[in-house]
Order: sequence, then structure tokens, then C-alpha cells
Amino acid sequence: MTRLRYLLILIALGVFAILPVFLSGNLLNAIIKMMISALFALAFTLAMGQAGMLSFGHAAYYGLGAFAAVHAMRFVEAGAFSFPTPLIPLAGAAVGFLFGLLFGWFATQRSGVYFSMVTLALAELLYTLAPTWNSLFGGESGISTIRGASWGISFGDDAHVYYLTLFWVTLATWCLWAFTRTPLGRLALALRDNEHRVRFLGFNTHMARTLIFALSCLFTGVAGALLAIATEAANYTAFSSKASADVVLQTFIGGAGTFFGPALGAASMTFFARVTSDLTRSWLLYQGLLFVLVMLFVPDGIGGLIAEHSKKVKKGGYKALVLPYLLCLVTGLLLLAGVVFLVESTHILLSDGYIAKTKSSGGAAVPFSFFGQDFNPRSWVTWSIPIGLLLAGAALMPAAMKVTGRAWLHATQSAPAQGETA
Amino acid sequence: MTAIAPAPTASAGSGSDVQIPSSPVLELRDLRKSFGETKIIRGVNLAVKRGERHALIGPNGAGKSTLFNLISGHYVPTSGEVVLNGKQIGGLQPHVINRLGLSRSFQITNLFPRLSVAENLRISVMGQHGYRFSMFRPVAGLTAVTAEVDQFLEKIRLTRRRDDNVGDLAYSEQRALEIGMSLATNPEILLLDEPTAGMSLEETAYMVELIRTVTEGKTLLVVEHDMSVVFGLCDQISVLVYGEVIATGEPAAVRNNPKVQEAYLGEEVAT
Repeated sequence: MTRLRYLLILIALGVFAILPVFLSGNLLNAIIKMMISALFALAFTLAMGQAGMLSFGHAAYYGLGAFAAVHAMRFVEAGAFSFPTPLIPLAGAAVGFLFGLLFGWFATQRSGVYFSMVTLALAELLYTLAPTWNSLFGGESGISTIRGASWGISFGDDAHVYYLTLFWVTLATWCLWAFTRTPLGRLALALRDNEHRVRFLGFNTHMARTLIFALSCLFTGVAGALLAIATEAANYTAFSSKASADVVLQTFIGGAGTFFGPALGAASMTFFARVTSDLTRSWLLYQGLLFVLVMLFVPDGIGGLIAEHSKKVKKGGYKALVLPYLLCLVTGLLLLAGVVFLVESTHILLSDGYIAKTKSSGGAAVPFSFFGQDFNPRSWVTWSIPIGLLLAGAALMPAAMKVTGRAWLHATQSAPAQGETA
Repeated sequence: MTAIAPAPTASAGSGSDVQIPSSPVLELRDLRKSFGETKIIRGVNLAVKRGERHALIGPNGAGKSTLFNLISGHYVPTSGEVVLNGKQIGGLQPHVINRLGLSRSFQITNLFPRLSVAENLRISVMGQHGYRFSMFRPVAGLTAVTAEVDQFLEKIRLTRRRDDNVGDLAYSEQRALEIGMSLATNPEILLLDEPTAGMSLEETAYMVELIRTVTEGKTLLVVEHDMSVVFGLCDQISVLVYGEVIATGEPAAVRNNPKVQEAYLGEEVAT
């Protein structure tokens, strides 16, 4: 099992290593952002998933890491000192760690909701301070800089940035994973489960929580610095509560209870945002919908789902699952198509442009186009499409759930025939 | 309650007369605790000698739990002293008190429910070995810690459940682990808060026997409601009533003390 895991990791690394050969600059950029958000989520999970500290203000350390990197690059640019570009993330790490210690010392005085509120407040503090502090945060426009050439690499090419990011994300991920196996990493789990008890076993829990929080901020700072290197800029919006909320949502979608889940969640949600934001202006709605659905039906997230399958499905059990999962997919696609039709047509019908058109037409029905088709908003035929799709999906759902449930039992139970023969 | 029936093991233990006179491990001197106007602990004096198995009994609301919380650092005393090995510890933080050699168990099960049995014990043991905030070596490489964890597992008879989640253990197994974890910080004195609360008769008997073996040679201070446990486990009894110790002594003497009979045991028999 572990050998298989190492093999998978090696294959994944190999694939990542050759990607720049095949991908366009645009896609490569998307993957850089996905890797960075994956690292952010992994760092966040160290505090949230492992030590049970739900920080609502992790964007603070992400932004601080980004600004630290930008300032370091500017100093190098101005010739104040020389520092190789590939090591710039260390600046983000140092600043993230220091502020993690400082802010964490206050926040970890409390646990639960109170901890979350303190972290949120501290991040908001930076968010409101940054636009007015020109010299440090560059006001509302932020600070931009240029990646310097070092070690014989120009860092002008996307592929250079890609490899730099890949190296740091891999290294940081390994550190975070190795940390879970150390005494302090095990203590984090104990703190999550029962801080009170840890105190009576001779541990200074405030110190421990501050340290773990600061380590999480250290790797968050690295992620922020990588973002600054990739974009050659940092802006006060990095501190926004949206950035803090995003990492929380991504981590939950990925599954906070697993190690790699949050990285998958963050990478896929970043990709999702990039694709859907080009296609539709309602993409935030879809993102919210996705989050609600995941929380309702797969509360353990993507990682939890994978773990369930790898742990419980017996040998050859997947055969029984293929058809039921296909049925679920069809059901899901029907429902999705219905929802998308309704959302997009509503969006068009309520848009200023369309309202102006209906006014000028003097009350006559104006067809709206959508997916290359024209639809008449006053015709029952138009609305029977989404309603039909939703009804079909809803009709299939009970059957799909029943069949999948049965197949799951079949795939996970150790041979039911044994019980009969015994 | 039929609980006052004399327990043969206790009289055998206290009758052996091999006690070495020594200074107390734990001493409470005129200890007081008030919550607002309400005085819960009203001048407690108590000494627990090395090797002694001391029970603290008393009716509900007498302040036994508060007294434990004062000793273990959960509460700060209003006045008076808690002295551990000659050092004043009243008002210190729980983790400092633990490192000075005092460990406690809890009345309600207080474990790490999502960790395995061995991992629960390992938290206790690794702190004892000085690996508190260590983050540059894997825990699997700490062979001394692992060996000690296995030793404690053997002692509390949970070796078979080593890798099971604590949440899946039976209640009595969880209670045994609770005591094992308190013991694994290697204290000079162990405070047990109602170790058999909520157990059936057989479970109680098993637990008393287990506690007796695992705490061999340790100094104990036990809060317990069940008199058969008290007489079966302890050689000294102190009776706490309304925040004051009204009697201390060997089980037989305490049982015959008229003040005690009036205040506590008499009431117990009556109900």
C-alpha cells in the first residue's frame, strides 16, 4: 500500500515535471495558481484540520508573505542587496512565521468561535490598514516589481516560474507531511481533540498552539510569496476576507480530515473558478451551490471520499460500482443542465440590456439567445426544457441513490456468502 | 447502601505496620476557595504521606471536585497553600504542576477520542521524555517512548486494543486508559477523581483490582462515592463536609468516628 502511494507520488511528480512541454503559457499560469492555492490550503489545514483552529483570517499571512516577497524583490531590483530569486519565498516564510507568532499569541488565548473571531479581526485590521499605508503596501494600487535573473535563469519565461513554484510547493508539502509525524504534529491532533486534557499532561498548550499556528502561517507565507513571484505584484486585496473565506471553503470541499484532500479541493476550485468565470457572470453562485452540495452530501470532502474508497472497497469491488456511478452522473448532469438553464436565462432576462430591448420593442416578446439558440421567453416550450430536465433528474434520483447504496454495500462487504455457509 | 461492609484487603494492607514515617508528598494548609460570596472550601488542612493511599470522601456538594481542581491547578485558591514536596504550587498552571510531579484523572472520561489507544498514551509518555515541542524527528523513531507506551498498554491490559480508536472502546476500557494516561506522566502523587463512577459491580471490582496493581508503590489521593472501593483501595480516609475536613484516619477509626457517622456515613446508611 505504501509502496503504491510512493509510486503514485513519483508518477505525479514526473507528470508535473514534463507539463511545460505540452501546455500553453495560459494553462501553465493556471496550474501555477492551482499549485499555490493547494499549498495555501495545506498550510491552512495544519491549523484547522490537524490542530482544530479554524482561522477566518489566514489571508493576512498570505498577503504578508506576498508583500514580503515583493519588497525583497524590489530591494534586489534597486541593488540594495543581492538575493537569488529562487530563495525569495524564504522572505515570505520568515514574515509569515513572525506574524503568526505575534497574532497567534493573541488568538490562541481563546479557542473555538472566539479564536476564529480574533483571527478574522486581525486580518481585517490589515485589510483596512493596507490601502492607506502607501510606503509599505503601495496604497490601493499595490506594489509591482520584476523578477530578477539569478543562477543563470532569466525567470522571464512562464516555465521558469512554473518550476520554481513546483519546487517550493513540493518541498513545503513534504515538510507539512513530515510534520504530522513528529511529536509536535501528533500533539496538534491531541489539541484538536481535547486541549483541556493536554494541559493536565504537562504541556503548555498556549505555547503549543501558538507554535503550530505560526508554522501554518509560515507555509501560508511561502504560498503568498510564490503568488507575488508569479504575478510580480502584491495588492491589499490579498488581505480581503474573501481570500480568507476561499481557503476555508476549498479546504472543506477537499476534506479537512485528510492530508492531501485540501490540496485537491483548492486546486480544483481554483481551476473551476478560472474556467467558469470566463464562461458566466454567475460563477460565484455555482461555486456556492457546489459548496452547499458537498457539505450536504459529502461532508468529508473529496479527500474523505477517496479515503473511503481506498479503505473500504474490497478487491474487484469497483466493478459493481461502475454502472451505479454512471447512473448518478447522468442524474447529476440532468439536474445540472436544468439549473444552468434557469440561472443563465434568468440572468439574461434580468440584465439591463435585455430590459432596454423589451422596452424599445413596445411590449412584444423579444427572443433571447443562449448556447447559440434563440428562445422565446413567453413560450411554454422554452420553460418546459429546464423543467423537463429537472423533473427527469428528480425522477431518477431515488433510483440512483438506491442502486448506488446497494452497490456500495456489495463492493465493501466481505463476501456475504460466508455468512450463509457458516 | 450496603457499602460500609469492611473490605478484608484494606485491613490487611493497613495492618502490616511497615509504614516508614516521612514528610508528606502533598500538604494542604488552611486552603480556601470562594466563588463570589459562596465559600466552597473553608480552610482545609490535609497531609498525604509518601506511599499512602488516601481517600477523600464526603456527601455531594462537599467540595471534593473543587478541592481536586485547586490542587491540580484548574482553579486558583482564594487563600491558603498547596504544598507539593515542600514547594508551594497553589495557583500555578496545570502543566507546571504536572511537571512538578502531580497528575490527575478525570471523573468524566477525558481522552483524545479520534486518536488510537497507543497515541493517547504516547502523548503522555513523550512529554515525560522531553519531546514536547519537538518537530525535527519522526515520532516513530523514538523507540524509548514506544517501548514505554507498550509497557503501559500491558499494565492497563489494553495491548490487544493498541491501534483501535479510543471512541470505539468500552466504557471501562476508556476509564482504564484514563488512569493509564495520568500514570504515564510518571507522577509522585496521582489524583483519581471517582475512578469507578458509572460502572457496574463487576466493572468496579475489576477497576479496583487494576488500580491497585498499576499504582503499586505510588501515592494516591482518590475521590470516590462507592464505599466498597474506598475500603478496598485506601489505607487512609479523610472526610470532607461543607468545605472542611472533619476527620482523617484509618478506615476503621473513621468509620467509628461519631462526627463522621452523623455527617456522612449515617446519612448514607439512612438513604
